[in-house]
Amino acid sequence: MSNPMDGPSDDILVVRDLQVTYATRNGSVPAVRGISFSVPRGKIVAVVGESGSGKSTASQAFIRRLAEGGKIDSGSVEFAGRDLLALPERAMRSIRGAQIGFVPQDPSKSLNPLMRVGEQIAESLRLHKKLNRSAAAAEAIKILEEVGIQDADARARQYPHELSGGMRQRVLIGIAWACSPQLVIADEPTSALDVTVQRQVLDSMDELVRRHGTAVVLVTHDLAVAADRADFVVVMSEGQIVEQGTTLQVLTSPTHAYTKKLVESAPGLSSARLVPSVSTQESQPNTGSLFTGFQKQSDRLSGERATNILEVRNLVKTFTLQRSGGGSQVLRAVDDVSFSVPRGSTFSIVGESGSGKTTTARIAARIAGADAGSVFFDGDDITALKGEKLRQLRRRIQVVYQNPFGSLDPKMSIERIITEPLRAFRIGDRSHHGTVARELLEHVQLNPDLATRRPAELSGGQRQRVAIARALAIGPEMIVLDEPVSALDVSVQEQILQLLVDLQVEFGLSYLFISHDLGVIRQISDHVAVMRFGKILELGTASDILSNPQHAYTRELLEAIPGRSIALTPGT
Amino acid sequence: MRLLRQPGFVLSIIVIAVVIVASFAPSLLATHDPYGSVAADRFLPPSTEYLFGTDHLGRDVYSRVVHGTALSLLSAALAVVVGVVIGALIGLFSGFVGGRIDFVIMRFVDVLIAVPGVLLALIVVASLGFGPFSLALGVGLGAAGSFARVMRSQVLHIRNEEYVEAARTLGVRGPAILMNHVLPNAARPVIAMAALELGTAILAVSALTFLGFGAPPPAPEWGALVAAGRNFVSTNPTLSILPGVVILVVVLAVNRVARTIGGEK
Amino acid sequence: MSKLKPWVGYLLPKLGQFAFVILATYTLVFVLIHFLPGDPLVAALASKGGGDTVIDPAELEALRAQYGLDGNLWEQYFGHLVALVQGDLGTSIATGVPVIDMVARAFPHSLEIASLALLFGVVSAVIITFLAFAAPWPWLRQLLLQIPPFGIAMPAFLSGLLLISIFAFSLGWLPSAGVRAPGSAILPAITLALPVGAIFFQVFSAAVLEAMNSPYVFTAVAKGVTPRAIFLKHLLRNALLPSITILGLLIGYLAGGTAVVETVFSRDGIGRLTVSAVLARDINVIQGVVLLVGATYAAVNLIVDIAYGFIDPRTRLGTAKKTPAPVAEAGAAT
Repeated sequence: MSNPMDGPSDDILVVRDLQVTYATRNGSVPAVRGISFSVPRGKIVAVVGESGSGKSTASQAFIRRLAEGGKIDSGSVEFAGRDLLALPERAMRSIRGAQIGFVPQDPSKSLNPLMRVGEQIAESLRLHKKLNRSAAAAEAIKILEEVGIQDADARARQYPHELSGGMRQRVLIGIAWACSPQLVIADEPTSALDVTVQRQVLDSMDELVRRHGTAVVLVTHDLAVAADRADFVVVMSEGQIVEQGTTLQVLTSPTHAYTKKLVESAPGLSSARLVPSVSTQESQPNTGSLFTGFQKQSDRLSGERATNILEVRNLVKTFTLQRSGGGSQVLRAVDDVSFSVPRGSTFSIVGESGSGKTTTARIAARIAGADAGSVFFDGDDITALKGEKLRQLRRRIQVVYQNPFGSLDPKMSIERIITEPLRAFRIGDRSHHGTVARELLEHVQLNPDLATRRPAELSGGQRQRVAIARALAIGPEMIVLDEPVSALDVSVQEQILQLLVDLQVEFGLSYLFISHDLGVIRQISDHVAVMRFGKILELGTASDILSNPQHAYTRELLEAIPGRSIALTPGT
Repeated sequence: MRLLRQPGFVLSIIVIAVVIVASFAPSLLATHDPYGSVAADRFLPPSTEYLFGTDHLGRDVYSRVVHGTALSLLSAALAVVVGVVIGALIGLFSGFVGGRIDFVIMRFVDVLIAVPGVLLALIVVASLGFGPFSLALGVGLGAAGSFARVMRSQVLHIRNEEYVEAARTLGVRGPAILMNHVLPNAARPVIAMAALELGTAILAVSALTFLGFGAPPPAPEWGALVAAGRNFVSTNPTLSILPGVVILVVVLAVNRVARTIGGEK
Repeated sequence: MSKLKPWVGYLLPKLGQFAFVILATYTLVFVLIHFLPGDPLVAALASKGGGDTVIDPAELEALRAQYGLDGNLWEQYFGHLVALVQGDLGTSIATGVPVIDMVARAFPHSLEIASLALLFGVVSAVIITFLAFAAPWPWLRQLLLQIPPFGIAMPAFLSGLLLISIFAFSLGWLPSAGVRAPGSAILPAITLALPVGAIFFQVFSAAVLEAMNSPYVFTAVAKGVTPRAIFLKHLLRNALLPSITILGLLIGYLAGGTAVVETVFSRDGIGRLTVSAVLARDINVIQGVVLLVGATYAAVNLIVDIAYGFIDPRTRLGTAKKTPAPVAEAGAAT
């Protein structure tokens, strides 16, 4: 990447010392704090960062359209030799869409729901290329074909809700490329998509870049996507650029500590089963006194107990979907699913959206009912448990949810949240609860002083630790973890996974782990089942499934994981 | 506090404080006897002596407004209580029970909403007779439908929140979930709506007293004052307009505070 | 048959709902009238004849039969219901005229100001929203957004009296009362439009504001679309869609509002008819009016419901056939 101070060059976009702040109730908060980089013509530059790094704000500042309260304080954004920040709004409008395309983040909401998709592309063509109505409509169909939408003629006349997420993102890519712009800014273009769809969408974007020679600013949280697609990488953290260079440089020999951490924790790049850290194993003796619910780990793994803590047999669950125009359709969300979870291990179910993995987990945890099949816990049939007996089962099976924002009652203090199960089962008294809450917070590596806070004051990672602490409070034997890390930043993801692995050894826990992310699955699983359309396609030990997949779909999933193009050796 | 830096909010609080004083100790604010007529001082324009002027009997309109505060607001406040109690109970029950019972109850609530509150109040007034209490019952009944709907949707919404499901999987019993999770989280929108309804109820009650369904004549209810002044609107417009402006200001203040409770900035 | 069937399945429940609202309104009114303490007929006669009328019990029974208030409650309930289906709303206790005639005479006058008010209210709400959206200065936007709370807090008798004293008495531009003089509907309609427009504004502007911050508007901006085209092509339809569902609610406001407005402007109409019926404790007329309003509300809701199905492609019939099920395509990561 060339130095931005070189003057006129082959760079289509030159950003110099850009600063953006947001006005909030508590004064102005800097979001982008003086970033400088440049984008050479026809090249892909990935801007990588975690949530709150300012990468999305920066990308919106390039086209001068910030969210309410945002303000560009200083710096310049030079596009093809002109400073965009100095242009009048009218001139800026003739650049947006015509010379700079933008691919937004969320395909489900980024298209006008009441406008046919063909028209949404044609609107741009009429505006900038001055095509008449019929010519624009015909051109829109060509563009839909170009972005890989089959039957484009019919699709153009459809509304967004009639298209799948992947197709909608293709339409948005078509809008961005409609007027053959010199630059396209893509803000997390695939982070809402399934991994196999992500790959196809990124492939067709690559194709457009090659054909039109477009330069791209690819904003992503996923270092692996950057590794696969970008020529240059810019790493952002807390509003600043901490490192930039060619993709190979940045990923194979990162110099900045933050980049190193990011490269290490990216699950897609290179990962293995996490091993318990030594420190927690040593701290084991102090647990017995506090957690009255727990028995000794040695007792758990021996004695007259079933070897499989959980077994499900031939589960079936169907949903009836009501069509808006009348009529209905039966969906087999879970279709003859059987598996067993050996005591003290992690069994993972991996699948894309709609695969039925979450429904399966909910049935196994007895949150939802099944239409057929049975669930055995510790050798006992729990399929039909009801009332108080089912409630007592909760002492042995606990659940951690995907969304750490939704699963904690916003009105409760952290201490009340964590000790809620103790109150429900009348374990200990009030003063005891305070001590337990603080001890549990320490166990999930949180500051015990957080006990008095409310969930809104905590970060996503901290909340998920609280949810784990709550699940541990009554000493369960098994925890069902439904996508517990997918709402979190990658560096936080790894910390939570490490915590889970440590706790598993410390308390002899068994996990049923649900994820769409094979990278995460690899880090935590002993056994893996691959699900699609309600069926288990393949089931085996983690190493077998991940290194020697038998089913074509499993191979497809593995190949779709980004970050395979560069053999990475994370710097240590 | 940040709120105190907003002039609109501060002004509203002052208005409400004055209204409270006028309700409980009207003689502190009134300058004349609300019923005492001075034949020589008929139809006087507003002045420092008679702030709102005098009516056709020579009574001080300002003092009548002050003394009418308690009566005018009593019906409105009672109406809100009736609406909240009936509505919230129906909504809570319907939302919590769910299923077919919920469906049937909500269809009837739909009807309660379909019939305009004023008409519903008129039916009650026509059946029970005129007066502040039948006004309160009528207006309250008219509001009960919306309260039921809001309460129910809150209950349904919260019941589907992940933290409620999480509580269930933690082994928390049903009643404890209702007390610890559903009610605390449902309370705020319902309280905010009750506050907003107070403004609506003041308007409805004053409209009904304007039409002549309130307490019998000498009582200085706000709506009745406007109605009395209306006969002289071509010659003495302030007679009816100033009491009307008082109602407007009080409702604006109440609504402003209600929106703040509801979480609007 | 395959063409017809979805239509039947779509319309039947909505028509059923329509009938149900009217039946339930009737039931509600019946329950209120008969279960609240007091004998409605005695109250009406007392009101008619002055404070201490003494009524002969035999005569009372005859009058009960004449006004359809005889027999036990079930007989009355079903008797009136059958009459209702045949278009008979009973007889006014105060005047002895069939209720249906009284209502039919008053209805057109109220319909005139109510539809004018709806038009004024909705159009000005849309215009003010557009101005607020396009306002170059934040203070102007804030100012425009302050108008609806004002309209909602304004008692209708106050705005009516203000309009009369300004436009009728001071300026002499428009008549202050009656239904005959040309332009007599304008001031009442404006009075009625104020709260109705304010309520519509609140819903509509909230929908516009939400749409303004939506990703699809961002997409349109990134395409280079002008603000005017964004408002007209992208915002307006998306924001009007949720807003039209409150039209039914507005009918209620309009019907309730006519009572005050028609009294202030001394206009004949449903509202004034109701007020005089309440003053005479004439239960039969009140019941007729409430049923009429309930039926109007149900009819408007039915039309809105059907219109919604046509305007919004997501609920439109016959689509979503060849495409994959929406459930299977939701994003995995959120």
